[in-house]
Amino acid sequence: MQAPGPTLETDRLILRPPAPEDFEPWCEMMADEETARFIGGVASPSMVWRQLCSMAGAWTMFGYAMFSVVEKSSGRWLGRLGPWTPADWPGTEVGWSLSRAAWGKGYATEGAAAAIDWAFDNLGWTEVIHCIDPENLPSAAVARRLGSAYLRPGKLPPPYETAQVQIWGQRREQWKGRRAVA
Amino acid sequence: MRRRPTLETERLILRPPCERDFTAFAAMMGDAEHVKFIGGRQPPSLAWRSLASMVGSWAMRGYGMFAVLEKDTGRWVGQTGPWKPHDWPGNEIGWALAPGAAGKGYAVEAASAAMDWAFDHLGWTEVIHCINPHNTASIRVAERLGSVRLGRVQCPAPYDKVESIAWGQTRDAWQGRKAA
Repeated sequence: MQAPGPTLETDRLILRPPAPEDFEPWCEMMADEETARFIGGVASPSMVWRQLCSMAGAWTMFGYAMFSVVEKSSGRWLGRLGPWTPADWPGTEVGWSLSRAAWGKGYATEGAAAAIDWAFDNLGWTEVIHCIDPENLPSAAVARRLGSAYLRPGKLPPPYETAQVQIWGQRREQWKGRRAVA
Repeated sequence: MRRRPTLETERLILRPPCERDFTAFAAMMGDAEHVKFIGGRQPPSLAWRSLASMVGSWAMRGYGMFAVLEKDTGRWVGQTGPWKPHDWPGNEIGWALAPGAAGKGYAVEAASAAMDWAFDHLGWTEVIHCINPHNTASIRVAERLGSVRLGRVQCPAPYDKVESIAWGQTRDAWQGRKAA
């Protein structure tokens, strides 16, 4: 059963709440050292199961969480992205992680833009942030393409308390203004 | 099909967990002494993830542990029920009571109702309870439920370094005892 929530569509992607069939590709993503490096490190299937369940549970409890990203042309699960605010999080995040096969195609920017639109329209957020490791240059480039700027250094709560992050982001008016022009 | 069952016992209500349970759940998981046998203290940010994953198990599989509420007061007094993370060594019926709710027979009362429900709705033919060998209070609950010691088991991460003994029983044993 898929967690309750909306399905969004972009040119090339479907964004939908997580579902049990995401487990295997999610495990593959979290077994890849380079992909997992900036999102807590390699995780075993039993830990991935908990991550997937907590994403599904956040949808049930709060009506939002990260979407699973599915490639329209292939039906493949590519990763997860979207709004995410665990307890004690430093702000209203829209985050993203895609598996390696999905890199370099502009998918993160395309999906995150749809998720930011949805978050500003439906969650009453006035700001969106992205917590990014300073060494994660590809993610910083996505943030820049989304129109976000570096805001401040940040700290995350456990289990990420040792991670070093920079907080990128933008205000709702900046996002809306730019979308209106585009 | 989305199941949102509510069970009722003499003194307790069991229902799927929700966001209103967070404060009480986080208080329980923040009490280091109280949770030393079930993985240890969790700060609120980790308790949030634990509660969310329990709710997510309901969303994706149609079952998970139930939140246990005291009928008289409406207070959240713990959780119990079916729980089977990936690679878990069996069909768990687990329980954890809030500090202050122990010693009243609530764990046995609630776990019995959850076990009835699990055997009736999940097609399970056997249940286990993974218990730390030093957790005498939980061992007593397992014994009162009629479960027997099955032996040492290896639980997957994040419990891979925790010593666990499985207790358990078959559906036939459970339902036979209830019928008698």
